[in-house]
Amino acid sequence: MRKLDLPNPRKAARLASGALLTAALFCGAAGLIGQTTRDQYRQAYNLWQQVQANLERDAGNGGAPQVAQADRSASAAASFEATRAAYVKSASDDAVRRRSILQNATTRTSPDLVPPAVASLAAGELLTVNKAIAKFTADKDPGIQELRQSLERERVALVALSNTIQTRQGTVAATAQASVALEQARAKAAEAFGDQASQLSRNAALLEMERAAWADYYSKLADAIQNANLPAPSPASAAPAVSPVDISTNAAPTASAPAPRSNSVSPVPLVRYVGEWTFPVVNGTFHGATPVSVALAVRENNGHAEGTLSGRFQPPPGVTDPVVQFTFEGEIAATPAQRFTLKANDGRSGVVELIPGPAFNLLEVNFQMDLRPNKIRSGNFILVKK
Amino acid sequence: MKRASSVFICTVLLSCGAVRAQEAPDLAALEQTEQKRSLEWEALANDMNDRMARMLPCDPRAMAAVNEVSRASDARLESLADYLRAASAKAFAETADAKNLLNIEERAAVEVTLERADAGQEQTAVDTQSDALAQSVKQRASLEGPQKLLTEIVAIVRERATVAEQRTISADAAVALLRELVAKFEARDTALREEFAASEAERARWSGYYAARRARAQIECSITQIGTPAPKGRQGKR
Repeated sequence: MRKLDLPNPRKAARLASGALLTAALFCGAAGLIGQTTRDQYRQAYNLWQQVQANLERDAGNGGAPQVAQADRSASAAASFEATRAAYVKSASDDAVRRRSILQNATTRTSPDLVPPAVASLAAGELLTVNKAIAKFTADKDPGIQELRQSLERERVALVALSNTIQTRQGTVAATAQASVALEQARAKAAEAFGDQASQLSRNAALLEMERAAWADYYSKLADAIQNANLPAPSPASAAPAVSPVDISTNAAPTASAPAPRSNSVSPVPLVRYVGEWTFPVVNGTFHGATPVSVALAVRENNGHAEGTLSGRFQPPPGVTDPVVQFTFEGEIAATPAQRFTLKANDGRSGVVELIPGPAFNLLEVNFQMDLRPNKIRSGNFILVKK
Repeated sequence: MKRASSVFICTVLLSCGAVRAQEAPDLAALEQTEQKRSLEWEALANDMNDRMARMLPCDPRAMAAVNEVSRASDARLESLADYLRAASAKAFAETADAKNLLNIEERAAVEVTLERADAGQEQTAVDTQSDALAQSVKQRASLEGPQKLLTEIVAIVRERATVAEQRTISADAAVALLRELVAKFEARDTALREEFAASEAERARWSGYYAARRARAQIECSITQIGTPAPKGRQGKR
């Protein structure tokens, strides 16, 4: 089982994001690989642009609405980047597959097919026949004349044969020449597409940098707006400031009120936990028991979270009941990873951790329950927000 | 020659389908067979005149020798035709694949052009965001951190737009090269068709030559009657 209880959960989430990045993004795209079109990612882009409209302009004097807008923008940007990454990967894979034919040498006919002696053999026969004809030219004997005529016919056949041999040899040379020219053109085209492949790689690398940069940017932007409005922390108190405004519901703050991102102590927006989540149909990321389907619902009220999880797994060896259902609740902690006590429908108890994923629409879930024969005991997977 | 070429094209087009549906023909095996048949024929053909010189004109072995070389010649030329047919079927399938690739790459090049336009649009949008944030920083100093990040994003998007521009140029160049390649494939196919037609023409000429050679052997026998087996009746009288 992957170790999730690192000393610094935010750092843990960041570390995990590195390893799970690519797979998680494709989870976010919920199986769009292989079918994502440019139109789809453009739609996601347009949506992002709508969500983030005027955010930077309003950030100078904004408050809670802008913090919430930054969070929504981060989510929309992550969705766009994931959709585009799926598109780029799909297009790139297709290109590599179809261009593979350029890597193979083209068919060339063997130069050793017809014996080189063919022409000389025909020429030798022709010489023999010509000599015989010359020998019998003066002979008036009717039988000899008949033989000479026969030799004449043979000579005509041999001359025609020699001509066709020469013609064929010319076509063989032409085929060889055409094959050489074709091979050169193939190598040139393969090289050109190789250059394209390196540009595609560079493009993919830049997209990845951009994805990470946008996530970081929106997070920092929200923090900057929030921190600018927070009162200076009291030196006597180490507890984080708590705001009465619930950002998860986008409630507007009063004009003079600070703009905290949540009414809980959580360092990340509650939208990273609250809501309905599901395990992606394809390309899901998990560790341990393989989820078939998982549905998670999380609610929050005044810093108190509660939720339900219902899942079905592919039964590992020794398990006959692949269904897991439990409820959980607890107080939101001042850490990105939230840990709650769970109570399963079959009476077992345990703990569940909710860890914000590498993108805003991803949530890692890690649960452990009491050991009971034939039952799933633990699970670890990444869910996508519905 | 034209007729042979037409028949060849039909045959090869049919076998092209077969090549796609089944495994590619084993050209190496066909080549081996052809070389074996060639060696067999060459040995007999080189030896034919020497062997016949030691026989009487009406010796049945003389005609048998011509027939034997003629059969070996037919077998050689048939195996050559088999090889050329298979090679052509494989080659024509490659040409079809190249044409298909060109078709797809032409569409992909259009898509790359659209992606370049997208990158340009994204660059404009992020520039606008950056300008707006620069104004907001004047009101709120805490935004300096995000501004720095946004400046980095602007640089990334700009580089990506440059890469998109390069990709457009490369895609157009690659498609042009692919068009040249398809033309070379077609030229190779034409050359192969002509080689096959010439090979068939030669095959007909070899048949004609051996027919003439057989005719000469018959005339040599008829004018000399040397080596003709004696009639059975006369043998009985003796």
